[in-house]
Amino acid sequence: MSSTVPPTEAVILEEQGEASVRSSPAVKFALTKIGGALISLAMVILLGFFAFKILPGDPVAKLAREHPMSPEQIAQLRAQLGLDKPLWQQFGDYLVNVFTLNFGESYVYKQSVASLIGDYFWNTILLTGTSAVIAIALGLWLGQKAGWRPGSRFDKVTSGTSLVWWSVPTFWLALILLMVFGGTLHWFPTGGMVSPNSPDDALGKVLDVIWHMVLPVTTMVAVVYAQYVMVMRASVMEEKSADYLVTARAKGLRDDDLRTRHAVPNALLPTVTLVFLHIGGLVAGAVTVETVFSWPGLGKLTYQAIQGPDLPLLQGTFVVFSAIIIFTNLVADFVYRRLDPRVRRG
Amino acid sequence: MPDLTFDDVSIVYRTSGRNDRGAISAVKNVTLKLPAGGTLGIAGESGSGKSTLAMSVLRLLPPNATIEGRVLIGETAIADLRFGELRALRWAEASIVFQGAMHSLNPVRTVGQQILEALELHVADGWKTDKARKARVVELLRDVDLTPAKAEAYPHELSGGQKQRVMIAMALACEPDIIIADEPTTALDVIVQKQILDMISVLVAERGISMMMISHDLSVLATACERIAIMRDGELLEIGDAYEVCTNPQHPYTRQLAEAFPTIGDPASRLNPVTRRGESPARKARELTGDVLLEARGVTVTFHGRGTPLAAVKNVDLTLRRGEILALVGQSGSGKTTLARTIVGLQHADEGSIVRFRGKDIPRKGRALRDFRSEVQMVLQDPSAALNPKLSIYESVAEGLRVQRYAGDEQERVAQGLTDAELTPPERYFTAIPQELSGGQRQRAVIAGALAVGPQLLVADEPVASLDASVRGEILALILSLRDRLDLSALVITHDLGLAWNIADTVAVMYEGALVEYGTTEQVLLDPQHEYTRRLLAAAPTIERRLA
Amino acid sequence: MSGPIETTVRSPRSMAWARRRHAFGAFCREFSRSRSGMVGLGFLVVIVVLALLAPVIAPAWMLDLTKLLDQPRFAPPSLDHPLGTDDQGRELWVRMIWGARVSLLVGFAATAVSMIIGTVVGIAAGHFTGWTGGLLMRIIDFFLVLPSLILAIVLSVVLSRGVWTIVIAIGLTSWAGTARVVRAQTLSVESRDYIERARVLGAGHWHIIVKHLLPAVLPLVLANTTLTVGSAIIAESTLSFLGLGDATLQSWGSVLKNSMDVSAATAGYWWYVLVPGIAIVLVVLAFTLVGRAVETIVNPTLRSR
Repeated sequence: MSSTVPPTEAVILEEQGEASVRSSPAVKFALTKIGGALISLAMVILLGFFAFKILPGDPVAKLAREHPMSPEQIAQLRAQLGLDKPLWQQFGDYLVNVFTLNFGESYVYKQSVASLIGDYFWNTILLTGTSAVIAIALGLWLGQKAGWRPGSRFDKVTSGTSLVWWSVPTFWLALILLMVFGGTLHWFPTGGMVSPNSPDDALGKVLDVIWHMVLPVTTMVAVVYAQYVMVMRASVMEEKSADYLVTARAKGLRDDDLRTRHAVPNALLPTVTLVFLHIGGLVAGAVTVETVFSWPGLGKLTYQAIQGPDLPLLQGTFVVFSAIIIFTNLVADFVYRRLDPRVRRG
Repeated sequence: MPDLTFDDVSIVYRTSGRNDRGAISAVKNVTLKLPAGGTLGIAGESGSGKSTLAMSVLRLLPPNATIEGRVLIGETAIADLRFGELRALRWAEASIVFQGAMHSLNPVRTVGQQILEALELHVADGWKTDKARKARVVELLRDVDLTPAKAEAYPHELSGGQKQRVMIAMALACEPDIIIADEPTTALDVIVQKQILDMISVLVAERGISMMMISHDLSVLATACERIAIMRDGELLEIGDAYEVCTNPQHPYTRQLAEAFPTIGDPASRLNPVTRRGESPARKARELTGDVLLEARGVTVTFHGRGTPLAAVKNVDLTLRRGEILALVGQSGSGKTTLARTIVGLQHADEGSIVRFRGKDIPRKGRALRDFRSEVQMVLQDPSAALNPKLSIYESVAEGLRVQRYAGDEQERVAQGLTDAELTPPERYFTAIPQELSGGQRQRAVIAGALAVGPQLLVADEPVASLDASVRGEILALILSLRDRLDLSALVITHDLGLAWNIADTVAVMYEGALVEYGTTEQVLLDPQHEYTRRLLAAAPTIERRLA
Repeated sequence: MSGPIETTVRSPRSMAWARRRHAFGAFCREFSRSRSGMVGLGFLVVIVVLALLAPVIAPAWMLDLTKLLDQPRFAPPSLDHPLGTDDQGRELWVRMIWGARVSLLVGFAATAVSMIIGTVVGIAAGHFTGWTGGLLMRIIDFFLVLPSLILAIVLSVVLSRGVWTIVIAIGLTSWAGTARVVRAQTLSVESRDYIERARVLGAGHWHIIVKHLLPAVLPLVLANTTLTVGSAIIAESTLSFLGLGDATLQSWGSVLKNSMDVSAATAGYWWYVLVPGIAIVLVVLAFTLVGRAVETIVNPTLRSR
């Protein structure tokens, strides 16, 4: 959540520690990393059980508080949810369910959680994926230009605006954009992914979806890009004092080429690590953005789950969101290996 | 072929910000000429302005530096060139060989690509096409004794010596008229150093290139340059023929520099390190009859990292008596530091190794270890890194006492330690922080911290390697005087045979983990038996002196 | 050596304290040179003072619905109602001042939890080698992978509703970021020679951690803390907005939730939406400016020359 950049040498030492794994041949590297990701996933699932079965105490009692039920109804619900079995048996059932991708049935939707998630999964990926790509590209480009000439007007303006955007709560920005561009100006739709009377041809459909995507994507990008600007800027500023830049300058390189050919590829290394580390923030933003814009995705499901509270659904979205981030971090490991020859050929 | 001329050059850095000191004069009214095809060495310690002067040739100084006077290549004043002309001149007319062993190469591009970059920036008839350029890269690498395959290597895959060769190849790429070599052999092994120096001299002479070499080591310059200039605090103190400057220096500072690196075999410098405080009485080599303090038998240390285990120390036998100064000599990677750390108890030796202090095995934990730590202490190489920059000198020196829960008067011990290390009056240094002290003073503070706990054996790992040449003598003299006054034995780790000649009673030479030669200083340095020792002695840069 | 010769020698303790005072003074002077940092700090001081004086400036009866039956609902900002009124006739500025208390309290408390856990785990992970350090690193990496907001939501749902649930939820989900930075810094300090020297002198874990690691790490932690407070406030407002807050304690986030419940955005009651949001933005921005000013002092390469 915070954007403090550890000093570069500290990050380098960390990476060196990792290097023993990373600088192994490609196959070993892939297996180690994928194995690690699977372990993380397993731990998430375990955590899911702990959080949803053990922590809440008696969910049925909670439900009973919110919706008055008779004792028979309570007993029936308990049996239905399998809560009258001993804990270890519940854990066993839980594991079986997870492996068969059976997350139970949503209290609210009365539909299997797995199928719900399946319906909405790709919508969220579309939204978050697009936002991530735009935010990262924008952030990195602005950051390296700003970091190269710290104190310049470009830097001051970039840093200043980034800081302001970073301080804005995602849901509020969504509300404002909705209010102004959707409600008052009617430039963009006020919700949903497709219009009620969407065009029939493929291109029309695509454009319709894009039209609906503009506001939510803008919201997500605006709040998150600042982090990437700051990280890249700090990275470039630290690279500026490197010795190899003096060598390159002595060879007669232009300033811009110095930046793009030498400083940026090196500054990119710790940046990539940090950018992917914070991707969780981007993904979590989907919850509020989808809610405000009524985008049919996992975030909206999560919101509905909170209202219930619909525990199976919440559990399902929690596991899926975590899985997405684990996967993205796995990608990050491979990207880093690609970028840093010291790691590729130890 | 143009001359390189410095005409009354002064360079001032304007600083602001945290340590606001206004303006720093880095170079003061220096007039020098490097004639076409000649070689000039500039010697000086850190802060002398020599690097600043060199960087000014290609206008590589940071924006807050102002240059007065003129720097001329041929008839062209560098300051008058427009940026486009400057970029064309850079590398094509004058190039720089930086310290390759450090970070002067881009880590994420292959070395071949980086040499190619220079060729692409300054296209000439010899390498107009892509193919011609690639061929030239191969040719350049061959000139510096590197196989063409190395072009595909990344900097981290090359050794220090190989990287330095790459820097040389890169500097020669665009056929410059002038080459400036900035500390080309620092951080290199003594044997590799000799190879590189020879190579540079040959390549430069073959092509008729003028060379300006910068170093803090006078003997390095004496080997490679015809003329030498001495700089201190931005001023040019002396300039003349290399041999004359080294053997018959006019300026007292030059004399100090020249004598800081003693010639092995010169009886005048045996047990007589040069100090700033006037001549110390010549000592006689001691008779070593004291009790055995340290005994090492069959010491082997193996590191089990990833992959194959690495034997850093192989079957070493050593004995150290009370009052003895033993110099453990070796290049980087020889295992000398590992051996030192084992003796001090920071590293565990393998099964079967015997390391005994005063007859008892070195303890591993508990009270016995604490007592051991008050008897054997260590001084590390870089005093700036060995002191916590935020703590005062008092706290750093008292650290050992506090950690060992000294029951007596701490302040008195700290004062005593500082006095023994010749930082007097000690009260003056109590509240100082390391930043306020010079390099020599910091090393004395580190030594004081070791002395405060009252050890009998001091292990010094490269105690003067990070210090300026003029300060080396002081610290070495201190070690000798501690031996005389406090009966303190010392194990000095060094790569420098001259240092061993200067202060050691016995010398042990390490190569790849094993002890290849071991005996008194006279035996080892004047009549070496092992091939490696002979090679080391031959490679050590010396100023040719006619011994009296 | 420059400076006057110390003629009176004080005790080591007083010398150590003098050194710390001097270092602190240098830090404050350095900080005062950052214009943005001072602006942020000034703004925060004002907000904190207002929040503390809430019972005095805006007495509790102003929020009592029974006393507000005659007040206009949804009145736009005017001289009578400086920031407008809400759907129950409450003055918005009153809600804002009282909301500040909750938002700031939760922000500070959650940050404290996060910082303490993060620093302890971070130093331990960096200092202890072997499987302890490895295990701690895995734990940190695991928590970094978890999406913090989602986890906070989960915790808020399964535990009983309330302010402390939110504090714990935010604290437990954000400590890993600090831990990572602290660990990286610890690793770099551990590689310095003076740590090796301390070991040779006989120092054990405690001495090295307390005397060398902690002071080296604290400035970075301080920078991180101020930045984390900002994120904690945003997190709290998000959780309240989602309906997970304490219904009895009104934070800025809950004000925004109310506004969404009454569809203020589409109904044109713009002040209901704008005011709390701008307040959050300004406060978080202030914390961020302070944090970045501290960061430039701690990490000199970030100084834009």
